[in-house]
Amino acid sequence: MKVEVHIWDWPLRLFHWLLVIAVVGAYATGKLGGNLTDWHARFGSLILGLLVFRLIWGFIGTTHARFASFFPTFSRLVEYVKGEWQGVGHNPAGAIAIIALLAVLSFLAVTGLFANDDIAFEGPLFHSIDKELSDKLSGWHIYAVNILLGLVAVHVSAIVLYQRLKKTNLVGAMLTGKKQLPRSLAPSPVKPVGPFRFVITLLIAVTVVWGVWSGGFVNYLAPLASFQTATAHPKT
Amino acid sequence: MKLKLIVALALGAATTAAVAGEVEDQIRFRQSAYSFLGWNTAKIKAQAADHPETFNKDQVIAAANAVAAVANSGLLSLYGQGTDKGTGWKPTRLKPEFFEKQDEVKEIEATFIKEANELQKVAANGDAAEVKAQFGKVGATCKSCHDLIRVRE
Repeated sequence: MKVEVHIWDWPLRLFHWLLVIAVVGAYATGKLGGNLTDWHARFGSLILGLLVFRLIWGFIGTTHARFASFFPTFSRLVEYVKGEWQGVGHNPAGAIAIIALLAVLSFLAVTGLFANDDIAFEGPLFHSIDKELSDKLSGWHIYAVNILLGLVAVHVSAIVLYQRLKKTNLVGAMLTGKKQLPRSLAPSPVKPVGPFRFVITLLIAVTVVWGVWSGGFVNYLAPLASFQTATAHPKT
Repeated sequence: MKLKLIVALALGAATTAAVAGEVEDQIRFRQSAYSFLGWNTAKIKAQAADHPETFNKDQVIAAANAVAAVANSGLLSLYGQGTDKGTGWKPTRLKPEFFEKQDEVKEIEATFIKEANELQKVAANGDAAEVKAQFGKVGATCKSCHDLIRVRE
């Protein structure tokens, strides 16, 4: 006897699918270059905003969106390996993949802010560090794409395997937020999304992206780059 | 007679070397070419793409002429054997694979020349949006070469 249970809140699902669009867009425009590099920056900014949102939502979102609820602790991993893990959100193996994906995407989003392509692109924070460091970060940015591709491959093949072997529709769950679960496992219903929490989280995410592009953050970063002088990159 | 021939050959070889330059010279010349190119592409990017309100037709024409001049200057003659190692103004970032990828490299150079010439034509019309579009095509050829034979930092 299975019951339908609401697991993923709507901001989490919206985050997930916007992230899919942004990552595919950023990858394609990054490969193609030329004037699409402007779009690469836009998709990258969207990814940055989404990641900031997800990070905060991981602490104040609904039950299964919280990192604490699915963080792959040692005891959870042991249970999972023994086949004794019981839960309804991300399982511990999936949680490792998710945290790795979020970490690599964060690395890409942040290095991208400081990157340059020696052609016509300079990230919004390029001028806050020196060129050599920017070149290094730009190189790492591109290496990290390979790690991202690997993780995406693992993520997607795991979903296909769950569908084939366990007949679990994870894509459907991420679309509707609902999972079919045995009655014995069905948890107490997830509380509805607090509108106040959602708005606050969204505002912080938007502010971070806006701050990066408006140059508002450059002034805060400048003292960190003490080797940098204000006149090193005159804006002419 | 034989001695004359040897001297002539040796002189010929020396002259060729002087034209193509020592390894360090070649690296320095090409790095300079790309710096100069960068100065000009930055102007076009700023005036045609980022701040179209600052578009200055004469400056953009001058910059596009310079870009086309660099593209047509025979840059590949600065990539002699052994120039994947060495220091010009700074250490070169040329991948050793450059020498095995000559077909692709020549194709990229041809595309670069074609797009840069087109940019020069478009710039003469003085339309910022057209310049921006064509500038993107030039930039894409830069990227194709960077992706192929330039070492990532």
